[in-house]
Amino acid sequence: MSLAALLPPRLSQIPDPGLRPVISFHGVSKTYPNGTLALRDIDLAIYLGDFCFLVGASGAGKSTLVRLLIREEPASTGRIFVDGMETTRMPRRRLPKLRRKFGIVFQDYKLLPRLTVAQNVAFALQVTRPGQRHLKEKVEETLWIVGLEDKLNKFPDELSGGEQQRVAIARALVHRPRIFLADEPTGNLDPDTSWGIVQLLLQINHRGTTVVMATHNREIVDLVRRRVIAIESGRVVRDEIEGQYLREGEATI
Amino acid sequence: MIRLFAAVRFTLVAAGQNFRRNLAVSMAGVFTMGLILLLVGGTLLLTHTIDGLVTQQETTSSSINIYLLGSISSRTITNYEVNFARDPRVISVGFTSEDQAVVIFKNDGLNTDNVLGVLQVNPLPPSIDLKVHKLSELSQFNSLARSLPIVDESAGKPTNYNADVIPRLEAIAAWIFGIGLVLSIVLAIISLVIIMNTIRTAVYIRRTEVEIMKLVGATDWFVRWPFILEGVFGGVLAAVFGSVIVVLGYRLLIGLADAKWLGVSYDATFLAALVAILVAVGAALGAFGSYLGVRRFLNV
Repeated sequence: MSLAALLPPRLSQIPDPGLRPVISFHGVSKTYPNGTLALRDIDLAIYLGDFCFLVGASGAGKSTLVRLLIREEPASTGRIFVDGMETTRMPRRRLPKLRRKFGIVFQDYKLLPRLTVAQNVAFALQVTRPGQRHLKEKVEETLWIVGLEDKLNKFPDELSGGEQQRVAIARALVHRPRIFLADEPTGNLDPDTSWGIVQLLLQINHRGTTVVMATHNREIVDLVRRRVIAIESGRVVRDEIEGQYLREGEATI
Repeated sequence: MIRLFAAVRFTLVAAGQNFRRNLAVSMAGVFTMGLILLLVGGTLLLTHTIDGLVTQQETTSSSINIYLLGSISSRTITNYEVNFARDPRVISVGFTSEDQAVVIFKNDGLNTDNVLGVLQVNPLPPSIDLKVHKLSELSQFNSLARSLPIVDESAGKPTNYNADVIPRLEAIAAWIFGIGLVLSIVLAIISLVIIMNTIRTAVYIRRTEVEIMKLVGATDWFVRWPFILEGVFGGVLAAVFGSVIVVLGYRLLIGLADAKWLGVSYDATFLAALVAILVAVGAALGAFGSYLGVRRFLNV
């Protein structure tokens, strides 16, 4: 049985031209204060329900693109729209509203070591929606989605790397974000565990959440066969819809 | 309402955790700030006490005796007395006759019999004695007295006005107030910096937490409140610490001063106000210092 058959079915991979993109970049460049030109003239549209990879070598500009998306950094020129909001000229006080549209995971999990698995996940809701009803049920349900329903009361250091990343995913997911951003989520994990995490992201996508995953794990990209946006020296050098990323004879499995 | 309650509870718990986890730094900050507030309190108290002494001195000094010629009729004197009494600057008007002047002279403890015996006559002039509201108005009465025809100028000094003493007293009071003010401001700035650094350490310890809060979309104020509360808590604690020592020290010093030389009295009202001020200043410095301390970390 081919591995592709194990993948969950896709929603819409080829965007409907009438659809408004959930993320769009229009001529975006980013120069850091030290003069480094991290992104040059990026035009990009990601549609609702997309699953796309952001690939490129270290320093190519993937992380800058992620930082611009959540407005951790402002763009130097150009305009960025997220779910209908223009983020480039957004005042500081509206950033929380923007960030609540995202679920974000990183390579280093960023879990709070003093909190249990359930508390780590609940934390995201407590600080954005204090007094949230049915907090416990929501947390448990989300942990069930990531397959950690039996680890509620464990502490992060009692878990494996893959499990810790699942907790981070649950925390990013618990407020039901529109867009799921994963910045090198498998960077610290072995291939089997990485594959499990990718499967989980595909499942999340299948439930209707747009997923953007920055990675340089070529094997996973080849295997999953979804849209691939390749960045090199701050430019989008390739943007290909499913499978076309694999050229003849390049199959890695 | 539920949201507000949950937010307040989260803030209180987080502030408490901050303080405990950061206990060594927090306590160091509290003690240093306590010492500073102690100095501020001490300075204010000292200023107040000296101010009280000056005021006391002023009240006793805010009087002037205008020496009269012995030949003036009592009717003329009464006329002048009535005129002086109408002046709004004057509190009271009195008259000392030559004989009364001798009695007062004797009461001052000097051996008058010899002096008066040698002189054969009473050299002390009668006088009109004015008590005025403001120390600064004495000089006006002094010049006024010089222009009056009833005044005895034979001794070259028609009044007992001492031009030197009064401005000097006023200058001392102003200096003490000024020094106290400058010292308090400098100390307040120092404690602001201390609180800022304490909170920076607290935020640094919790930087992952702050980072996550920002990333999941917590508002700036939600992130800020626990730290501000921690700062206020530390500031109030420091103020209490400083106040206890100020109050104890004040009692001790007043006890000593009372027994030995000065007539300063224990001012409970001022002391209560002072403690209230210290607590308010401690809380305000704590809040503002925290606000500044946490600001840099919020730019995520």
